[in-house]
Amino acid sequence: MLFGSLSDDDVRQIAALVEALDHSGFDSLQLQVGEVKLTLGKGAVPTVVAPVAAPVAVAPRSTDLPALAPVEAPRSTAAVAAPGPAADGTVAIVAPILGMFYACPEPGAQPFVTVGAAVAEDSTVALIEVMKVFNAARAGVSGVVTEVCVKDCTYVEYGQVLFRVRPA
Amino acid sequence: MRVSRVLVANRGEIAVRILRACRAMGLDTVLAASQADLCSLPARLAGRVICIGPAKAADSYLNIGAIVTAALATGADTVHPGYGFLAESAALAEACAAHGLTFVGPRPDQIRQMGNKLEARALAAGLGLPTLPGSEPVRSVDQALAAAARIGFPVMLKAAAGGGGRGMKVVAEAADLERVVASAAAEARAAFGDDTLYLERYIAYARHVEVQVLGDRFGNVIHLGERDCSLQRRHQKLVEEAPAPAIAETLRQAIREAAVTLARGIGYENAGTVEFIVDQEAGSFYFLEANTRIQVEHPVTEAITGLDLVQEQFRIARGERLRFSQADITFGGHAIECRITAEVPAEGFRPDPGRIDIWTPPEGPGIRLDTHCHAGYTVPVFYDSLLAKLIAHGRDRDEALERMRGALGRFQIAGIGTTAPFLHQVMSDPDFVAGRVSTRLVEQMIGRIQAETESGVEQAP
Repeated sequence: MLFGSLSDDDVRQIAALVEALDHSGFDSLQLQVGEVKLTLGKGAVPTVVAPVAAPVAVAPRSTDLPALAPVEAPRSTAAVAAPGPAADGTVAIVAPILGMFYACPEPGAQPFVTVGAAVAEDSTVALIEVMKVFNAARAGVSGVVTEVCVKDCTYVEYGQVLFRVRPA
Repeated sequence: MRVSRVLVANRGEIAVRILRACRAMGLDTVLAASQADLCSLPARLAGRVICIGPAKAADSYLNIGAIVTAALATGADTVHPGYGFLAESAALAEACAAHGLTFVGPRPDQIRQMGNKLEARALAAGLGLPTLPGSEPVRSVDQALAAAARIGFPVMLKAAAGGGGRGMKVVAEAADLERVVASAAAEARAAFGDDTLYLERYIAYARHVEVQVLGDRFGNVIHLGERDCSLQRRHQKLVEEAPAPAIAETLRQAIREAAVTLARGIGYENAGTVEFIVDQEAGSFYFLEANTRIQVEHPVTEAITGLDLVQEQFRIARGERLRFSQADITFGGHAIECRITAEVPAEGFRPDPGRIDIWTPPEGPGIRLDTHCHAGYTVPVFYDSLLAKLIAHGRDRDEALERMRGALGRFQIAGIGTTAPFLHQVMSDPDFVAGRVSTRLVEQMIGRIQAETESGVEQAP
């Protein structure tokens, strides 16, 4: 999760809130101050928190897409040390590279995958852009998508969980 | 230029060093870390951490796209590259400028000028600095032979794109030249993507003296004195000190002025270093190369000037004028730095990464330790072996040496092999203590230590 507009002090205050929650009898805490919305909790957190002040970004236009037939071969997620199956039996698809996450091949198009979609190991599940170069993220596992963990047009870190898949 | 949130694009002790300077100046920090460094000390000190790629440096710390994107993703306005990795990458400096980020270092054109050793040498010569007798680029063995005959053996074969002691080979006689040219060209191609080679005269018992300079964008340039970095192994520095010991005052002043002449001549911005080879026997000096980054050994200069060079880098980068004139700079005492690495000297400096079980650093007056290590830390296999820089400052060289010997003796490290015991021996070596240092001294000392070790083995039953 990338806190683009938060200062170090903000982050320290959030850390203090986490600690306070940890010592309290409550399961979760929701806080909204202006555009900043924060959800903290233990166990099953209601929803994934949207990155604060997500940078304005445009999904790649089809004219940009030749970069997809990449100069650099798109890296396979298999190269990333993805965590093993979670307690619920799902497997994570993680970001093979740091960059801007695009869920769709072009603006207005259908996403590569949605919850319930079947994926094969070599299915493209997203595009990740680093300085105008688009890298295809591959599923690396075959199964059914159970969760989309990242919002379209947000930055993701290397290794960040993008999707969860129930293996076939 | 705005400098309010700094992306530290490096790791290890220099990342810690930069983060501390940021904290002192009230700047927000983001650490760009590879997957191998997500639990490191700098990761704990940074305001936040962003994972820029896998352990392999080519996909993380050397990935310009990842660094710039990480800065944009975290709202950073400034990138500090540290040393090594992308510190002297004109391409990173340009990419930062193109994305509205402040790059903490000189302008891209200055990085490029100094990065090409041949261009830098021609520039220095044009400004009247003494340069070693040398050649133009050599494109064949015949050209190399002709150049070497003119310069005189032994010669040093260098890669134009090299630097930091890499891409250099000594050739003693004509018979060796053909073989060395072929391997040096291949190495230079692999390491720097450029196999341009040239020759320079090689001075065996030389001293390596470098001058720290600071310049701002208004054309002000000052020097912060010199450092002696003669104690090297395979062109890698082990011990540095400031000021340079046992050197004539007139020579010291001439070297300092030559460095300022070069920096002023190119309108140098930010912190940089101009390196010289000093021929002890002849009492002469020659321009070697210029480094457009903060250097590993900057703390010895900080010790004798009382300045914080990394903080000055940030001030220059955000467009401030130098806060000092040359007359404001005063030098106090003597400082020595030992580079403690995860290597075993008795076994040919074999790298020895692994888990540090005990790490009890020394403390005391005049002692500083720059490190990212602690007990329980696992030194990764992916990066260079520098663990810590131990700096001792005293009223004079004798006191600095005394403090360094005491500190090295008290430093307890277990779990991995380090160079600390070897450095302790160096600090008591009669030649070193007398200031009779040269770039060959370590090789001689290693020879002695190995002879002692081998004779010890023979006596064992």
